[in-house]
Amino acid sequence: MSRFVRWASSAAGLTILATVVVAVVSYLVAGPFTVINAVVTGGMWALLSAGLALVFGVMNIPNFAHGEFFMVGTLVAYFVFTPLQAQLKVAPNPVLAAVAPFAGILAALVVGGLVGFAMEKLVFLQLRKRSRQQWVMNAFLLTVGLSVIMINGVQLIWGTDFKGISRYWDVEPLRLLGVKISVDRIAALGLALVTIAIFWYFLMRTRTGRAIRAVSQDEVGAQMAGIDLNYIQALTLALSGAMAAMAGASLLFMFPSFPTVGLKPLYVAWYVVILVGLGNVAGAIVGGFIVALLQTLTSYFIGVGWEDVVPTALIILLLLFRPSGLFGSEVKGIWEQ
Amino acid sequence: MQDQTSSVLESRVRSKAASQPVVWGQVRAVLQAVGLNPLGLILIVLLASAPLVPPFNREDLLRYLIGAALIGAQAVAFDFTTGYINVVNFGFAAFTGLGAYTSGLLAVRLGVFPWAGMFAGAIVAGLIGLFTGVLTLRLRGIFAAVMAWFVGLAVMGLARNLVDITRGKAGLNVPTFLDTPSNLPYFYIILVMLLITYLGLRLITNSHIGLAFRAIGQNMDAARASGVNPTFYRVLNFTVQCAFAGWLGGFYAHYYGILTPDVMLTSHTVEVLAVAYIGGRGSIWGGALVAFPFIFMIETLRSNLTALPGLHLVIYGLLLVIVMVFYPGGVAQLYYMAPVYLRRLRYRLGQSRVGRSG
Repeated sequence: MSRFVRWASSAAGLTILATVVVAVVSYLVAGPFTVINAVVTGGMWALLSAGLALVFGVMNIPNFAHGEFFMVGTLVAYFVFTPLQAQLKVAPNPVLAAVAPFAGILAALVVGGLVGFAMEKLVFLQLRKRSRQQWVMNAFLLTVGLSVIMINGVQLIWGTDFKGISRYWDVEPLRLLGVKISVDRIAALGLALVTIAIFWYFLMRTRTGRAIRAVSQDEVGAQMAGIDLNYIQALTLALSGAMAAMAGASLLFMFPSFPTVGLKPLYVAWYVVILVGLGNVAGAIVGGFIVALLQTLTSYFIGVGWEDVVPTALIILLLLFRPSGLFGSEVKGIWEQ
Repeated sequence: MQDQTSSVLESRVRSKAASQPVVWGQVRAVLQAVGLNPLGLILIVLLASAPLVPPFNREDLLRYLIGAALIGAQAVAFDFTTGYINVVNFGFAAFTGLGAYTSGLLAVRLGVFPWAGMFAGAIVAGLIGLFTGVLTLRLRGIFAAVMAWFVGLAVMGLARNLVDITRGKAGLNVPTFLDTPSNLPYFYIILVMLLITYLGLRLITNSHIGLAFRAIGQNMDAARASGVNPTFYRVLNFTVQCAFAGWLGGFYAHYYGILTPDVMLTSHTVEVLAVAYIGGRGSIWGGALVAFPFIFMIETLRSNLTALPGLHLVIYGLLLVIVMVFYPGGVAQLYYMAPVYLRRLRYRLGQSRVGRSG
């Protein structure tokens, strides 16, 4: 009990309790739909933000191209899923219809991972070999360049039109708490929760996960202990890319694919990461849900279009009083203190 | 032996001094004091006379030149922060836009003279920059970069949403500086503004303040140990940069005559950033030099390849990545290292000749 009180009176505890209270109040005031919406998008924001926080913690890269993984995810899922859907219209097959969306999402996962891997090998490794001076700023600018290349490259090849689907599973929406929720939303939330669980198990319980955490704590020490840095760094970026691409693929029904679709998720992921403290992976998962709730409430009570203004104001307050973030980051940047 | 060398040196110095008129030395000294060298002066004169010679006296090419000068001036201001205190202002375009909107709104709503409105824009952008800087610059550099970006997004959101004041996406019609369809006067206005930006910032970086900036950018702990207050100088630098961004925004508003929230898009920051980095960080002049050929190339490409929108941005991105990874000093480093490269080349050529003869 006393442990609970101590946790509840810490900044992290206060925030989480306050979020729960806000969620309950808005459930009563604005109806269940806002809360459910917040939870569904929150799961995906958590996936995105966890990847962003991991890459910053392990590789010291403030990834501005993180939203482009999301974009790649939506694109791959679209190009894998729509032919399958067309095929299904010709020859209906209930089993295939249930599995086809997973094929799209899995393909997005793999491609996102590959893009992350290629980014590390082609760009960041090259810079790391040459110079580590002012690494964080240089890496940040490199990701800016990569983001511009990817957005406009995709635009050149596939054009700017919206490539979306109305839904993954063509079934009746379920009734839950008196509201209709599409199966897509429930599936997206389920996928996010499962992925987060697997990711957390991997990071905490496996040898490779331990190696990743070791690198984030002390790079030189990890190297002395026989950890292959190049491998861990490539793996980290691939993992982060895969999770972001998966988020994009699972939300294809909400975010139709177009070149700059990744910008909004990118803002959100950065809001979350600054809010909880740079490099704090566990905090990022919680923060994803907090920011999703905040955004849903902002657009419900203040109006659409203010979602950028309100979190910025909050972050300004936070930086004034608690610059290390709500949960304080245990994982600090290595080269830049 | 030593005597001989020194006397040879002395005679050389004497002969060099004698061969040059005294006036020339004084001119050089004056130029150096304000941050120019003869080559720079020649380039400025060439640039100023460019619109009078045939290929550049067309209005469309003149527009490119004006755009290039504006980006060049922005890149100069950008490099003042990135190259010296190693902080990236990722909301740079928003600060320009803030200055533009301030000046434009003052002119539209209160009838303020554009020339005065420009400075009001600079003050507002500087104040917001001061606020952002005070908030974030005591933290690691990445906080300032991301926070400036957020502030930029928020300002853009305000410009979009406060439709009653800014007319939102519909765009604000702003009176121009002059009642003339010709672009020529505007070219000279922006050229003078570019020069003022360059000389003003050069004056700061050449002073002891600039020394403090450089020290902070290279090793903040060492600077702090030597009694330099990093937060003060970083905030000072950031504020000055934002004020210049706002001031240049005033030109944007009263030259193009229409303002939309898209002025503040991050892609404009990326343009400035790419030009500043390709020009060479920490040089101040690199961005201004590179802007002209670069913007010309990009604009020509863009007008000829309308079927491939976004190609110019891919080139921006690729150049940025390539320069950052393989040649981080940019064009400025190329300039400073050119004598070394030439000497090395000559040495190699000489060696191969020796090799052949032996």
